[in-house]
Amino acid sequence: MVKTLVFGQIREDIVEENTLGVLNKLTEISGISEIIVALFGHQIKDEWITELGKHGASRVVSVKAPELEVYLSRPYVKAMLEVIEKTEPMLVIAAGTVYGEDLIPRLAVHHGVSCAQRINDISIVGDDLHFHTPVRDDQAMKVTRIEGTIKFATSRAGAFFVNENPAGGSPNVESFDVTFSEEDMLVKHIEIKKAERTVNLKDAKIIVAGGRGVGGKEQFQIIRELAEILGGEIGATRACTDVHWIEETYEIGQTGQSVSPDLYIAAGISGAPQHVSGIKAKTLIAINTDEGAAIFNFADYGIVGDLHVILPILKQKLQG
Amino acid sequence: MKIIVFIEQIVSTQVKLQGVDYFDSTRVSEDDLVINPSSKNALEGALKLKDQLGAEVTAVCVRGLKTNKALREAIAMGCTDAIEIADETIYTYDPLLLAKVYVEALGKIGEFDLVFLGVEEQSTGSYAIGAMLSEKLGLPSVLYAEELEVIDSGYKIGHVLEGGRKIVAMPSKGVISCSDSQYFTPRYTSMRGILTAKRAEIPKWTAADLGLSSSVVGEEATSLIEVSFSNIVLEKESYIIKEGEPEEKVENLLAKLKEDEIKLGA
Ligand SMILES: Cc1cc2nc3c(=O)[nH]c(=O)nc-3n(C[C@H](O)[C@H](O)[C@H](O)COP(=O)(O)OP(=O)(O)OC[C@H]3O[C@@H](n4cnc5c(N)ncnc54)[C@H](O)[C@@H]3O)c2cc1C
Repeated sequence: MVKTLVFGQIREDIVEENTLGVLNKLTEISGISEIIVALFGHQIKDEWITELGKHGASRVVSVKAPELEVYLSRPYVKAMLEVIEKTEPMLVIAAGTVYGEDLIPRLAVHHGVSCAQRINDISIVGDDLHFHTPVRDDQAMKVTRIEGTIKFATSRAGAFFVNENPAGGSPNVESFDVTFSEEDMLVKHIEIKKAERTVNLKDAKIIVAGGRGVGGKEQFQIIRELAEILGGEIGATRACTDVHWIEETYEIGQTGQSVSPDLYIAAGISGAPQHVSGIKAKTLIAINTDEGAAIFNFADYGIVGDLHVILPILKQKLQG
Repeated sequence: MKIIVFIEQIVSTQVKLQGVDYFDSTRVSEDDLVINPSSKNALEGALKLKDQLGAEVTAVCVRGLKTNKALREAIAMGCTDAIEIADETIYTYDPLLLAKVYVEALGKIGEFDLVFLGVEEQSTGSYAIGAMLSEKLGLPSVLYAEELEVIDSGYKIGHVLEGGRKIVAMPSKGVISCSDSQYFTPRYTSMRGILTAKRAEIPKWTAADLGLSSSVVGEEATSLIEVSFSNIVLEKESYIIKEGEPEEKVENLLAKLKEDEIKLGA
């Protein structure tokens, strides 16, 4: 039986959704005997524990300390290593967020093993675990296993659904103290610059999104025009919001908004996993000059061509 | 000030090798080999500090089929020098073994201040190397950096974060992995750089030169075992229009959407 320890992540004061996705996935696998969640912070809220329990955690181990207020590698590694020692899991897993991807490989190093990353499935084979990682723009699947008694993995962001009607109970809760030294706090937190979310794209039915291929701030006009004609919203990649071609609120993907429209038009977007992981579209149309661009693997329809030639023609035809 | 940049050479993602074939080295020609775009972000990070503070920048390449080519390009971009670590015994698919090689390489290099890497090892899709390396070195680190500013105590660094960007301060010795951001947008090679690169002598180290044997960094040492590797069969073919004049392409798309009863617009 597989005892599992999940890194409990809190984002904007609630349990981060990919973490709930991981819990949901684990509860579906028979053979997972116990789901323990490690929860760190300056304060630990009862609502978080209730939520984790509902989604399948049977035990929550918490560490409270001012040094754990925001994620920083050293103090979190230290606390997590102590939780591992206390709970002796066979699998240690985190949702593949920026923090999860930072933490897991470090823990693995301390246990002298490697780790599986960005998995979108786990299977139990005999008394071992197999980790499934899509590679080469989701064209191939690599299945790996990890030698030894403890295994480390991160999930791919957006890979596992959050159960809307979780039927879990209330977990056993225990907490302990960890002390930190100055050495643990060499990297110092200054601030989090939250992207302003002025437009909610969650319920948008149609999104016309532009990437670096759009080429500039003014050039984004064609994306706006097409979105308007279609009665949809605009969207963008981080490459565009980073250079302020368009407001940060329009970023779609792992670190931006998650969207699930009926139609997603991706123009000048290469199809990086961090971008496409935020899109669950019924129909995806891609326009890209590079026929080998990854986005075509995720697209239902596509045109290989210059968006600044194709989109104006499309606009004109749609206007009739 | 000395900066070491670990770069990776990959098969260009533009090659038409699909699925598992992309990873088959026998199907790859030298022209297909390029510096991992993510490694180029790391080179840019180091070269910006070279411009600003007069740092010495050494590029080191362990992964790739023709690492010498990648290192000459790194010098052409502006690196001071380069070191090639080429040895078939090194199993480069395991980030932990790669981290071991990097640690020994740094030991042989001697003094250094900063280590730069790309966020992603594109050939394996792994994000682990930066974290593993800094943990093995016991050095402070900031991963997924998007911008960097020199401050009195070291560096003020902004890194990618869900919902925005996080700003932290890191001491002057540490490990930084760089993202595909505006700040780290790589420069082109210069004419002068290309000439320097042509003449550059690039030392070649083997695992043995680093005191490493295959029982430590060879495939026999890996804890990450490949069980299977296969193509993903798509449930549905995508309809990609490659041929024709732009006007015809758009008409073709609209006709196909109509046929499939996909409505454009609300
Ligand atoms: C931890 C982490 C989290 C991240 N989170 C996100 C996220 O949430 N969202 C996100 O978007 N990114 C995210 N990123 C960044 C991501 O990895 C990519 O760098 C980014 O998505 C690339 O954006 P792009 O496709 O616009 O640019 P590029 O990758 O540069 O692609 C541009 C594309 O445009 C095409 N093109 C060029 N000119 C034209 C033209 N005239 N007509 C048509 N096509 C053209 C090119 O062929 C190319 O395919 C994250 C990165 C990290 C490390």
